[in-house]
Amino acid sequence: MSSRPRTADPGGRPILAARDVRKAFAMGERTLEILHGVDLDLFPGELVALVGASGAGKSTLLHILGLLDRPSAGTVLLDGADVWNHSTVRRAALRNREIGFVFQFYHLLPELSALENVLLPAMIGESRLVFRSRRRVHRTRARELLGRFGMGDRLHHRPSQLSGGERQRVAMARALFNDPAILLADEPTGNLDRATGEKVLDLLFEEQRHRRLSMILVTHDERIARRCGRSIVMEDGQVQAAAR
Amino acid sequence: MFRSFLSLRYLLRRRTNLIGMVGVFVAVAALIMILSIMTGFLRQTRDVLRGSLSDIVILPALPPGHPSRGDPRPILAAVRAHPGARAATAQLVWGGILTQSGSRMDPTADCLADPLRGSLLAVRLVGIDVRSAERLAWPGVAAAILAAGGAPPPPAVQDEFDATALLAALLRAEESGEDSVLHARPRPVPVANALFPFASPPGYRPSGRPLPAVVLGEQLFHYLGLSRNAEIEIVTAVPDPATGEWVPNNRRFVVAGTFRTRDNEIDLSGMYLDRGELADFLGGYRPYTQVVVRLDDYEADGERVEQELLANLTDRGLLGGRQDEVRTWEQFRANLLAAIENERVLMGIMLSLVLVVAGFSIFAILSMMVIEKRRDIGILCALGATPAGVMQTFLMIAFWDGLVGSILGAGAGIWLAVKIDPIERWLSDTLGYQIFDRSVYVFDHIPSVIDPLAVLAIVAGAFLCSLLFAAVPAWRAARLEPLEALRYE
Repeated sequence: MSSRPRTADPGGRPILAARDVRKAFAMGERTLEILHGVDLDLFPGELVALVGASGAGKSTLLHILGLLDRPSAGTVLLDGADVWNHSTVRRAALRNREIGFVFQFYHLLPELSALENVLLPAMIGESRLVFRSRRRVHRTRARELLGRFGMGDRLHHRPSQLSGGERQRVAMARALFNDPAILLADEPTGNLDRATGEKVLDLLFEEQRHRRLSMILVTHDERIARRCGRSIVMEDGQVQAAAR
Repeated sequence: MFRSFLSLRYLLRRRTNLIGMVGVFVAVAALIMILSIMTGFLRQTRDVLRGSLSDIVILPALPPGHPSRGDPRPILAAVRAHPGARAATAQLVWGGILTQSGSRMDPTADCLADPLRGSLLAVRLVGIDVRSAERLAWPGVAAAILAAGGAPPPPAVQDEFDATALLAALLRAEESGEDSVLHARPRPVPVANALFPFASPPGYRPSGRPLPAVVLGEQLFHYLGLSRNAEIEIVTAVPDPATGEWVPNNRRFVVAGTFRTRDNEIDLSGMYLDRGELADFLGGYRPYTQVVVRLDDYEADGERVEQELLANLTDRGLLGGRQDEVRTWEQFRANLLAAIENERVLMGIMLSLVLVVAGFSIFAILSMMVIEKRRDIGILCALGATPAGVMQTFLMIAFWDGLVGSILGAGAGIWLAVKIDPIERWLSDTLGYQIFDRSVYVFDHIPSVIDPLAVLAIVAGAFLCSLLFAAVPAWRAARLEPLEALRYE
């Protein structure tokens, strides 16, 4: 993972790609197609905004790109390999190691403290023995990460004791904890007030630059899209335009 | 790693999960307690019954005129020669009806009219050999033989006290009553000297010739409201040797004291007297009816010795040729023992249903939790958890429920089983209601024996049951479509 070049190189091989991805849901008798053949490339170190109106299929595409959902047709290539040829376990490992998720509604586990939520990817990815042996290192890293996001004094608070902005920072720290190459953010500021949202976005963009992350940011806010290197507009389940 | 961590966190932060643990705890504790009590019941009943019955009973069905019918010594010699037999003695057992002296036949008439009292007053007369005098004289005799230059033979004295637990039953009658108000026992009336039970009781002032002494079962004694030195009259019947017709016969005896075997049947109807005295009462019809044998180790080779004795005695022509002439004590009480064993098994099955109920509560709680935790399951999948990992997380909750519940339950069950007697006493005294009526049973305390294998089996069963009932909700959790939960709030 660390050996992978993390530079914006539109001419090189995309780190994540969608090829003619279709997604249909069965709605009783009828099937409802949400994505009608989407092609998309994400190059290493690139920051892409995925914009479009509600119901355009942005989140569905993001979930498919994040290996959470299987396309009805078409395929997803991660580092040039078709992920749907991998086993379930292998895909789970890819989600754990290579891809970080940030959701609109934070999705923290309510029973766990901020620190424990951040440690969760390591707990999932490592066996008990390995995690035990690296426990101290992991905890230090999680503290650092949370500290960098201004959460140093709220390590042991449960999500219910945190504000929306604070929860999203914990969620970001969790997404970055396993040092993934790809970060998928689904309207990360959609549930925050403007000032808080700005701060969260600043942190997110700084991490993206700092880590040279390949990142897709779903948003319907034009101002946010303009801060990204490239925008992909979706409409009615299709990619309309790719503007630089 | 996250499986055990998350499952523990869910268990501790979601208190409803503890209901499953409590269910397993209660089921395991109840199972262990009840099974220990039933095992104790069975074992103690066996001990009590065995004590009053000896190990093997030989009932020779010899034809009239056979020499061994009138003399137990050939059979005794043959039995004592067997290496597995420790002691053997002859008994003369005969039925009779008891009347209290003074009122002559009236109580007997009553008892014949009243079926409830009738059954009580029919007594089992047991004529036994007590050779304490010889036994006590033996060291002197042995010393004399030794002094005369001879090698003293081993003591040939074998009597009732060697072959049965009568001596213990006589001594037990000296024990005073129970401590609690509810469990008061009547004043004990032991014989003056347990080694000489048929000696004339001290303070007995006969108006004429002294009457022969009898020792009664404690419950019979108290039921009749007798006192020591009371005179009783026994009515019985024997066939006339000449005509073969049954001839009634009666004789008076003096009560020397009581015994307590703790076997209700015997304590309510048994009456011991000297074998010679009883034979005389029966007009010499039979000098003995059975030979009781105590073995060195009944549990180890009782059945084998029984078969060997049967073959041995049959070969020597000392038996009548029927298969049931030599019996083990268990065959006498087979029905009672089988009934208790049945009860024990049934109790186990019924209480296992408590475990099933506990399993269902685990099932219900986990099923609810899987629905409630749909979103968490989605998050875990997004973070890289496999369906198997999700399944194991929920199984682990049941794992902790089962492990902690069954181990604590085993501890509580063992404690309850050990302390059941004081607990019952305390409860009875507090509630003023006797929960365990000791007079109904063979023993004066609630017995309990902890069988480590049974405890292990129960703990393992409870543990597996928890996992089994958790399997379905855990499997459902693994098959959940996590995206549905993640997409909408």
